[in-house]
Amino acid sequence: MKPMNTEKKRILVVDDEASITRLLKLNLEQTNEYEVRPENDALAAVAAAEEFKPHLILLDVMMPGLDGGELAARFQANPKLKSVPIVFLTAAATKGEVYARGGKVGGLPFLAKPVELSEVVACLKRLLSG
Amino acid sequence: MNAEIITQAERPADEATLESEHRYKRLLASVTDYVYTVMVEAGRAVATLHGPGCEAVTGYTSEEFETDQALWYRMIREEDRPAVLEQAEHILRGEEPPPLEHRIIHKNGTERWIRNTTVPRKDAQGRLTAYDGLVYDITERKRAEERLTRAHARLKANDAALKRTLEQLKGANQQLKETQLELIQAARLESVGALAAGVAHEVKNPLQTILMGLDYLVPNCPAGNENLRSVLSDMRDAVMRANTIIRGLLQLSAHTDFEMKTEDLNAAVRRALRLVHAQVVAGKVSVVRKLDAHLPRVRVDVGKIEQVFINLFMNALQAMSPGGVLTVTTRAGRLGEDLTLSDAACRPLKRGERVVAAQVQDTGTGIAPANLPKVFDPFFTTKPVGVGTGLGLSVVKKIADLHGGAIDIQNVAPGGVVVTLVLRAEPEEMLSSAKGV
Repeated sequence: MKPMNTEKKRILVVDDEASITRLLKLNLEQTNEYEVRPENDALAAVAAAEEFKPHLILLDVMMPGLDGGELAARFQANPKLKSVPIVFLTAAATKGEVYARGGKVGGLPFLAKPVELSEVVACLKRLLSG
Repeated sequence: MNAEIITQAERPADEATLESEHRYKRLLASVTDYVYTVMVEAGRAVATLHGPGCEAVTGYTSEEFETDQALWYRMIREEDRPAVLEQAEHILRGEEPPPLEHRIIHKNGTERWIRNTTVPRKDAQGRLTAYDGLVYDITERKRAEERLTRAHARLKANDAALKRTLEQLKGANQQLKETQLELIQAARLESVGALAAGVAHEVKNPLQTILMGLDYLVPNCPAGNENLRSVLSDMRDAVMRANTIIRGLLQLSAHTDFEMKTEDLNAAVRRALRLVHAQVVAGKVSVVRKLDAHLPRVRVDVGKIEQVFINLFMNALQAMSPGGVLTVTTRAGRLGEDLTLSDAACRPLKRGERVVAAQVQDTGTGIAPANLPKVFDPFFTTKPVGVGTGLGLSVVKKIADLHGGAIDIQNVAPGGVVVTLVLRAEPEEMLSSAKGV
C-alpha cells in the first residue's frame, strides 16, 4: 500500500483549447505529482468529473456552450463534486486584477492566462496541501 | 383797392400797441442771452444794471434786480456761489478771468445753467470803472452734455460688460477646445479599449499555449545545447512582452468593474513600491518617500490605483541611469491653493476642492516639450523598442479619469519628470462616521 503523500493528485483541466489542456497535462504529469485528465467539452465536464473523481478542477471561464462560472455552479451543486476545489484559469482577467481581488472571483481562486507552470503548481500545492 | 390799404400810421393806436407787445414777448421768449453792467468805484461794485433780456433767462425783470441788489447773488445756486465770487474778485482786481459756467435758480424754481463772460471797462488811467457781463443761457447745452456723459458712462459700462462677456466667451471657447481634445482622446482610448477587449482573450489563449509549451520544452532541452536554451528564453521574453501589451490594452478597456472603496493612498504607494522593488534594486536607484502621515482617505479601486503607481514607477525607473532618485510624495490640500496645476490638468476637479495628491518624480532626462502633450496617447513612447509598450501612461490617464481625478506631467529642473495624480479627498464627516461604525 502506497503512503498517502505519494498518491498523485488528480487534476481535471476543463478548457476548450485542446493545446492548453494537452500541455498542462504534459507539464503537470512531468512533475510526477499529478495525474491530469483534459476535458475540452464543457458540457461533458460534469460527467468526466464524476468518473475521474478529481482532487481539484482547473476551469477555463470563456468556453462555448457553457461558461466556467455556470459550470462551477454545477460542480458545486453536485453532491459528489461539491467539495472539490475549483481554480479558474481565465483569459478574461489580468494579473493585476488577480492581485487586486485577492486572487478570487466569486469566492473562487483564479489564475490569469498566460500563466507560467510554476504559478500553476504553486497554486495547486497551496490548495491541495490540506 | 387803395382805399382798402391801411398804413401803419392809420392803424388805431391800441392795436399797434398790442402788436408791439406781442412781438416783444415773442422776442423775449427767444432770447437766451442778456447783458449786465456792474459799476465800480475804488475797486468795489456799487451798482448793477441788468439788461432787458434778463427776464427771459432768470425770470426776474431789470427792475427787480435794481430794487434788490442782492438778488443776483441769491439767484446763484449755493454750491456755485464761491466760484462766482472768485470770478468777481478777479475782475475787480482788474484781471480778465475766463468765462464761468454755473447754475442759477430761475424765478419759476427751475434750475438753469448760464455762461457768464465778463469784460472790464477802464478809464484812460487804466482804472476799472465798470465791467460788463454777458450771460448766455446754456441749459440746453448742459443737459445735452449731461445726457452725453450719462450715455458715455453707459457705453463704458456696456463696453466693460462686453469685454467681460468677451473674456468669458474666450474662456468658454478655450474650455470647449480642451474638452473637445479630451473627448477625442477619450474616444481614441475607448476605441483602442474596445478593440483590445475583443482581441485580448483570443490572443491570451495562444500565448498560454506557447508559454506552457516553453515550460515543457525547457526541462527537456538537451544538456549543452545553449543555442536551443537561448531560443527558448527569447521566446519566453517575447510571450511576456506580448502579454504586457495585452494587459495594457485590457486595462484601457476595463472601466466597468471598479470596486470603489475608501482607501489610504499611502498604503497603495507602499504596496506598489514593494512590487517594483526588484527593478529598483536592478536599476541601482534610490527611493525617497515623502508620505504625508495625515493624508485624508480617497475613494478608489485600490488595485487600479496601484496599477497607476506601478506604471509611474516603472516609467521613472526606465528613465533613470544608475544612481538616480525616485521620489514619491503624497500630500493633501486645496486645489489651486496648496496645490497648483493648470486648469486643463485640474479637470474635472475644481479649484478650491479638497484633494489628495501623489507625485512621482525621477531624475532622468525629462521629456521633450513637443512630446509632453502626446504622452497620454496610446502607443506613444520615447523608449527603445521592447522597453515600453506606449500604454503605461494611457492606462494611468484612463484610471485617473475613471476615478474623477486629474493627472499632470511636467519636466522639472535640472532634469527629470514629475507626474502628479490628484484625487478628490473623502469628506471628513464621512470618515468620522465611518470610524464610528
